[in-house]
Amino acid sequence: MKTTLYEKDGSMVAVFEGRLDTAAAPQCEQDLKPLNDCTAGEIVLDCNALEYISSSGLRLFLSVLKHAKPKGIHVFLTGMNADLSSVFKMTGLINLFELR
Amino acid sequence: MMASDVDMVEKRLSDGQESCQREMVFPPLVLPNDVQTIPQLAQYVDEICEAVGFDQSLVMQMNLALEEAVVNVMNYAYPADVGGDLRVDAQCSRGQLIFIITDKGIPFDPTEKEMVDTTLSAEERPIGGLGIFLVDQLMDSVVYQRVDGRNVLTLSKKLDSTKR
Repeated sequence: MKTTLYEKDGSMVAVFEGRLDTAAAPQCEQDLKPLNDCTAGEIVLDCNALEYISSSGLRLFLSVLKHAKPKGIHVFLTGMNADLSSVFKMTGLINLFELR
Repeated sequence: MMASDVDMVEKRLSDGQESCQREMVFPPLVLPNDVQTIPQLAQYVDEICEAVGFDQSLVMQMNLALEEAVVNVMNYAYPADVGGDLRVDAQCSRGQLIFIITDKGIPFDPTEKEMVDTTLSAEERPIGGLGIFLVDQLMDSVVYQRVDGRNVLTLSKKLDSTKR
């Protein structure tokens, strides 16, 4: 599992690659920490190369959203395959994020 | 699971799903209560699901259900910093793939947990509690028993399950 952050046109993009399971979540949480310092723009969670996510990963996504929303920052999910998207639907989290 | 066991299981299941209408028992997996061993669980679940002919979506669903149920045991069955094992058994029986998770920890019935309200807003949504909810959503049945000082959680999925 690899998490990469980069800035693009004033927005922050987080790219997830591999399996975001409970074993991988603590490192991913560390890698995502800079997103909590965002004060403007938008955040894009790029899931094109994300193969799997469990509740530990969903928790991290929700946490990004909880930090961003009060600051008026929009959080977009992009590139989810049908299986991932079914997990977001099942948990109702799909309704909380903006899709792109 | 040893490689030779997998080969044997796959050989016996060479006809895929049809063979699994028979009673079939897979070798068990024993893990310590350490979430860093979850990739071993994933490999075990992948091999069994592929042997019974589940498609990629179902393999993902079984992985997710098993991870959530097993992590729950790893986090709650034993006091913090105390080592303990859990065991996963898998079998095909009566048209179902059945996983049985057993531990010797404190009595804990995950099925008694409150269900998640999936309609709440981001602000209202609690950060945790999704694990057991997912197990319940993904499996056809989830049954908890306390047997001889052990927690026994039985997860079943019909072999003819279709993509959801």
